[in-house]
Amino acid sequence: MKPVPVEVYEPFKAGLPPLRRYWRLLWARRAFISEYSRSELHEKHFDSVFGQVWLILNPLLLSGVYFLLIVIIGGQSDKFRYGHLTASLFLFYFVANSMTAGSKSVVKGQKLILNTAFPRIMLPISAAYISFIRFLPTVLVFFVIRTAMGFPFGWAMLWAIPVAAITGILALGLSILISCANVYFRDIGSFLPYFSRTWLYLSPILYEVSALKPKLRSIEAFNPLFPILDSWSRSIVRNEAPQAASLLQGLAWALGILLVGTYFFLSRERDFAVRV
Amino acid sequence: MSKSEHKSGELAISVQHLGLVYKTTIDRRPTLKARVRTLGRGTKHTRIVHALDDVMLDVPYGSVLGVVGANGAGKSTLMRVISGILPPSHGRVEVYGKVSTLLALGVGFNPSLSGRENVQLGGLAAGMSRRDIEDHFEEIADFAELGDAIDAPMRTYSSGMFARLGFSVAVTVRPDILIVDEALSTGDAKFKEKSLNKIKELRSEDRALVLVSHGLGTIREVCNEVAWLHKGKLIQRGEPNKIVDAYEKFLKVGKSAAIDEDV
Ligand SMILES: Nc1ncnc2c1ncn2[C@@H]1O[C@H](COP(=O)(O)OP(=O)(O)OP(=O)(O)O)[C@@H](O)[C@H]1O
Ligand SMILES: [Mg+2]
Repeated sequence: MKPVPVEVYEPFKAGLPPLRRYWRLLWARRAFISEYSRSELHEKHFDSVFGQVWLILNPLLLSGVYFLLIVIIGGQSDKFRYGHLTASLFLFYFVANSMTAGSKSVVKGQKLILNTAFPRIMLPISAAYISFIRFLPTVLVFFVIRTAMGFPFGWAMLWAIPVAAITGILALGLSILISCANVYFRDIGSFLPYFSRTWLYLSPILYEVSALKPKLRSIEAFNPLFPILDSWSRSIVRNEAPQAASLLQGLAWALGILLVGTYFFLSRERDFAVRV
Repeated sequence: MSKSEHKSGELAISVQHLGLVYKTTIDRRPTLKARVRTLGRGTKHTRIVHALDDVMLDVPYGSVLGVVGANGAGKSTLMRVISGILPPSHGRVEVYGKVSTLLALGVGFNPSLSGRENVQLGGLAAGMSRRDIEDHFEEIADFAELGDAIDAPMRTYSSGMFARLGFSVAVTVRPDILIVDEALSTGDAKFKEKSLNKIKELRSEDRALVLVSHGLGTIREVCNEVAWLHKGKLIQRGEPNKIVDAYEKFLKVGKSAAIDEDV
């Protein structure tokens, strides 16, 4: 009787690996993701008091600067405006950080990739997870701000949770997509800051969606963050329920990007080890 | 880990017509800018390295296969294909058992983390559970004899300390098919002796060992078969003393009858 091989390795054809098996391997390594994130955060000293303070101070200072700008240029100030600006910046940085960390993740894990067999997608997932951990304290800070400024409290604020979940899917999808692209084009990392700066200005952060001229609203259709930030601001700042259409639109974008990113990643990842 | 029921002589690894091609960029990293600039001219930026070429190899259970060859011969590459890290470009590899997916070289992938953290992360990435790692960690640290250094960042390690930890990790986890790549060459005499004994101890009927080393004395002593790779091709394989003699002669003279036939 000829024994059956446990593993057979053959040249890979473009296309997806067996998904069920891939998922099993990934699930078995879920502890890696939290452990890896912890060590990364530790390495950047984000687990120390000053690291935490800096994590919060950075977007807070930024929102202060932008608020000054708005007041000086626009000449009007409104506490909701400040609340909107701060909350939106915090959420935006969650996505932007995830993209930056994702872009580095695969190339950074080069030595691990060359010497250990594991589902490579763990690396950009960890990157997105780290950005999420860094996002959490900023939410706390925002709650302090909104209490201090006397924003309305209520049940509608709970809508912020599904909105944050949608943002998480988007951040994950972008991390996966960009980490894969970065293997083939190593300079994506240096374009990213310009890209995210542009994205910041094209998103309803420095302004509110309602303040936009109808003519300009066409950018809405091309910006996944548009419906997400609108829903986020409505719920967490103003304690209003977001529009169902915005939520669905945001979710569709997030899932779409995650699917496309995962497809590219999975069909290319077996090529990574001979390329990094 | 359940006790394996492999019998001596049964096939453990079967490598058939294996070829592997690395694609690297010639002088700079692949960038978008470079791609755009060369778009019209159609110049290719990738260099092709044929690291393995039509390699045929069988490893039965109960045997120790030594792999020798000059630097860049493709030894590490072959180990990576067998561990499922690199997909072959041609041919086929069949593996009849659990391979150690944690190659010694993988340890210390993040030099700013401590030895302990690197071992834990490497183990988790290879699919071990936290418990598994905890259970083995004492043994790994003991064998490596690093003392307090185990909690120091790995960038402060000497290359011998690196090698010690790598070897300890590779031999402590006990899969059916054990691959040890080159961990014996940088340790000091005492550690070499110790690791040699460890390898001897690990030889058993229900396990297959593949040992890549530049220490030819070790190869002669522990292997029952040796394969000689040169520039990605399998030159000879067979009885250890015979192959190692031929390889040593080749190293001295710089060429060999065995290679002249092929090239
Ligand atoms: N990641 C990589 N990208 C491109 N080429 C590579 C890569 N790794 C190895 N090579 C090339 O493949 C060939 C075989 O390398 P390999 O590491 O398998 O050699 P080796 O036999 O292990 O050598 P050594 O004795 O020095 O460890 C070499 O020509 C090397 O330049
Ligand atoms: Mg090598």
